[in-house]
Amino acid sequence: MTRTADLQGDIGDILLTEEEIAAKVAELGRRIAADYAGRSLTLVSVLKGSLPFMADLMRQIPLPLRIDLMEVSSYGGAATESSGLVRILKDLSASIADEDVLLVEDIIDTGLTLNYLVRYLRGKNPASLRICTLLDKPARRLVDIPVDYVGFEIPDQFVVGYGLDYGEQYRNLRFVGVLRPEVYTPAD
Amino acid sequence: MTAPTPPRPSFAHASEAELARILDFYDVRWAYEPDTFPIGWNLDGDVVESFSPDFYLPDLELYVELTTLKQKLVRKKNRKLRRLRELYPDVRIKLFYARDFRALLLKFGRLALVDELTGTTGQATPPRTIAMNEPLGPAPALATLDIERAATPAAEAPELASGDPALTPRGRRRGRRRRGRMADAAVVTAAGGATEVDDRPNP
Repeated sequence: MTRTADLQGDIGDILLTEEEIAAKVAELGRRIAADYAGRSLTLVSVLKGSLPFMADLMRQIPLPLRIDLMEVSSYGGAATESSGLVRILKDLSASIADEDVLLVEDIIDTGLTLNYLVRYLRGKNPASLRICTLLDKPARRLVDIPVDYVGFEIPDQFVVGYGLDYGEQYRNLRFVGVLRPEVYTPAD
Repeated sequence: MTAPTPPRPSFAHASEAELARILDFYDVRWAYEPDTFPIGWNLDGDVVESFSPDFYLPDLELYVELTTLKQKLVRKKNRKLRRLRELYPDVRIKLFYARDFRALLLKFGRLALVDELTGTTGQATPPRTIAMNEPLGPAPALATLDIERAATPAAEAPELASGDPALTPRGRRRGRRRRGRMADAAVVTAAGGATEVDDRPNP
């Protein structure tokens, strides 16, 4: 990996500016608030990438709401063969039975993780379960799951920033940018 | 007592084995090459061309074809796929190109595998008999802290095999039904072929 010390220097193009993200999050918040008017809401976010989006989104929803966090293991190939299955590293801290739940995701590409989470959360018998994602990369979709709130549909590029990482880096960028290929392409 | 794990199929390519591991990890059931779709016939009605998608995901009713060929070598597969979609419009199939698979591995931090698995001059696919009754990949219990599996799709039929009517792919039935109906059109296909190509760039 040839990552430089300058995080922003590793970014080729800025796909979404801080201002564009903020405007979209506010818009999503208004839509969600209108759809759930008169009800309370539980936002469930998936660590770690969704953290900035969750933090901004919940402040744009002027409804009684509570939040909860989950973390699931990610596929690592041979390193995971002993377990062989996705694992819940951090489960919900409270019951969501009979609650209106909104699953907050940073990005949906293959839909594999989302598919697993939706099945898992439905098993907790919420009153309703909807999905909100900041970024949607439909070109990569393997598992088609209806997504109720989509911030941006993005092209088929590897993006980082605003919670999204590569090798646990770049999450703290205020924008969403395309990572330069040389960062993740092994040098000859 | 737990049921014995079905034997792993002999994958034609390492990338297919890797995708199977990924599907297992996310508890997505799969069958390896369970169906063969005739896509070309000669004037006598004999099948002269067919297509066997690599995976069938029964819970999603989706076929997945994985190709790690270089883009210039993908045209033949693209043509077959387009023909399949013409003949069997109800069959849902997703083609994973080399770049798709590369992105998947990148996402999982497995880029080192890319050179091993992709960009080859061709998938070394030996002649093989399609095992229509090959067992589905394992659908083991979800390893979670507090799982309530009763309501999950996988929990309803965790150990079914592809021979079970509940999991019989639509495509297999429809393919058999369509074969007779499509014979006339297929003669044209066998003679002229479908030349329209989906030439997506492969960066």
